Amino acid sequence: MPSVQLFATCLGDLMFPDAVADAEELLRAAGFEVVFPRGQVCCGQPAFNSGHRAAARRVVRTFERAFSRDLPVVTPSGSCAAMLHEYGVWELSAFLDAHDVELPQRNAGRRVAYHDSCHMSRELGIVEPPRRLLERSGATIVPLPRPDLCCGFGGTFCVRQPEVSLAMADEKLAGAAGVDALVTSDPGCLLNLRGRSEHTGGVPVVHLASALARGVG
Amino acid sequence: MRPASFRAVAREKVPDTHLQGALDVATARLRDGRLAAWAALDDVEELRTRAHEAKTRVVDDLDGAVARFRASAEARGVHTFLARDAAEANAYVAEVCARRGAKLVAKSKSMVTEELGLNDVLETAGMRVVETDLGEYILQLAGEHPVHIIAPAIEKTAGEIATLLGEESTELEALTAAARRQLRDTFLTADVGITGANFGVCDTGSICLVTNEGNGRLVSSLPRMHVVLMGMERLVETLDDLSVMLRLLARSATGQKLSTYTTVITGPRREGEQDGPEEMHVVILDNGRSRLVGGRYREMLACIRCGACLNVCPVYRKTGGAAYSDVYCGPMGAVLVPLLAGLERSCELPHASSLCGACVEACPVKIPLEKLLLELRRDLVEQRVASRTERILFTLWSLAWSSALGYRLSTALARVVPQRAFGIWTAERTLPPLGRRYRDRR
Repeated sequence: MPSVQLFATCLGDLMFPDAVADAEELLRAAGFEVVFPRGQVCCGQPAFNSGHRAAARRVVRTFERAFSRDLPVVTPSGSCAAMLHEYGVWELSAFLDAHDVELPQRNAGRRVAYHDSCHMSRELGIVEPPRRLLERSGATIVPLPRPDLCCGFGGTFCVRQPEVSLAMADEKLAGAAGVDALVTSDPGCLLNLRGRSEHTGGVPVVHLASALARGVG
Repeated sequence: MRPASFRAVAREKVPDTHLQGALDVATARLRDGRLAAWAALDDVEELRTRAHEAKTRVVDDLDGAVARFRASAEARGVHTFLARDAAEANAYVAEVCARRGAKLVAKSKSMVTEELGLNDVLETAGMRVVETDLGEYILQLAGEHPVHIIAPAIEKTAGEIATLLGEESTELEALTAAARRQLRDTFLTADVGITGANFGVCDTGSICLVTNEGNGRLVSSLPRMHVVLMGMERLVETLDDLSVMLRLLARSATGQKLSTYTTVITGPRREGEQDGPEEMHVVILDNGRSRLVGGRYREMLACIRCGACLNVCPVYRKTGGAAYSDVYCGPMGAVLVPLLAGLERSCELPHASSLCGACVEACPVKIPLEKLLLELRRDLVEQRVASRTERILFTLWSLAWSSALGYRLSTALARVVPQRAFGIWTAERTLPPLGRRYRDRR
């Protein structure tokens, strides 16, 4: 059985363990043995994006030490995959799509909106794979009015400019009103959008891995 | 004086539903226009690359380009002046205007003159200065400054504009007719015309003006003296390079193939010619630009001020231009202002972005704005402009997270931190329960 290494990411590990477990489940169901390197921590992006290069280097070294270069690395996070682009890290949906995995019809009859995370769509160019997977799981995709707009997370941006960040999240959520779930492939966007949506009583916001493994709603 | 904080202005602008509506409509229209115009080109990527290369050739040899431009322009009878800073530029313009005994100065839109604060200087010297670009004229009547590069009065409603123009009707045609009537005399009686320059051409010493209202053409040809203010990086080497830029500028700014008026001016009136000014000056402004040559930020000098990055920026869409506290705003402003005015003065701007990268996609000359914002953030840290607390926190964090053991211990501690410690987050959003790490299940 082919093996893959799973990179949970710090946000996945700490905030969304269920989504990481769902990612693992999807990979297993697709016929992969999933290795979880115990030395993994974080890709260093929080520090890098805030300009703290030395701190970022210190943290990304944990990634270099923990992961083997000989097995593919898969992560349920678009922005961490973009940060680790030079290490050839796979974003989950791109990996599953490239391997033509079969998916159970967990979302038959469901209407979902998909939120593109910025780094995943713009830096890695991964736009269609998550949509194809959702459709393969039976979902109908409802287009968002402005899929190009950021959700307002932006790492420390959301606490440095909270008013603007919230307005961006609210606009994104308003555009998804009425769907069964708003799905995203990035724990950062998920933290922001689900946190805001739960606070305001908006639509459920779900990680792609959970949407595919367990279905929405 | 330290400018108002970005966050303080943003906090006022975000709940302003009128402003939000105006920004939404205007930025979407300009963005959609650009996307349609780009899509209609055979190969926009190739054109963007050629434009990037044409600007890079100039920027990499900026001193040489400026010298070539000056020599060509002077051979055509233009007086040129290289101003190191705003004070030198303003003093030069005030002096040449005073020498003509100028009382009335007509201006077409120029971001550089906004950067210089030229109007105030000329008014202090006793001259009357009238902006003739419709948007700028409205702002001058309101006593305000531009909040968008291309559409300076983007945030004003027709009702507000009617009041400023003293009109009862809020019909657009009535408003433009009123402005035209009010400005007509200015064009005919101004002693001096002041314009910016969208491009200067080194080979020919020409300057190129791109406008939609024709006011640039009137201001540069009717008064007896024409003064041009141009940032030193606005040069291209040849007319061929100019044509590459012109194919992109209007398409990227407004979605037009060409603006209504594209004017190339090469020197003042020559013998036997019927019109044009008797005397022409081009003031070439450095004001911090030459510092960027050869450095990590040199690509910013390729900016053609089309405003495309503003129209796609999710942050600008919410705050408008005022939050940037400068003549330049949006993503290009967030990069350029700290570079020209100093990081210390504008330390919030590199962080006034969610790093979404929409601006990079929209930039016709392929300036890597996101990368430049990251470089500025790095400089904030390495030049110790970022707060000591922030630097200590990131260092401690990185030391803790430099091993899996440190990560496990530090995140175990997070379980006992009370939720209210995350108040800045939990005031407006929920936070998932901490302490259920995925790795503990394996």
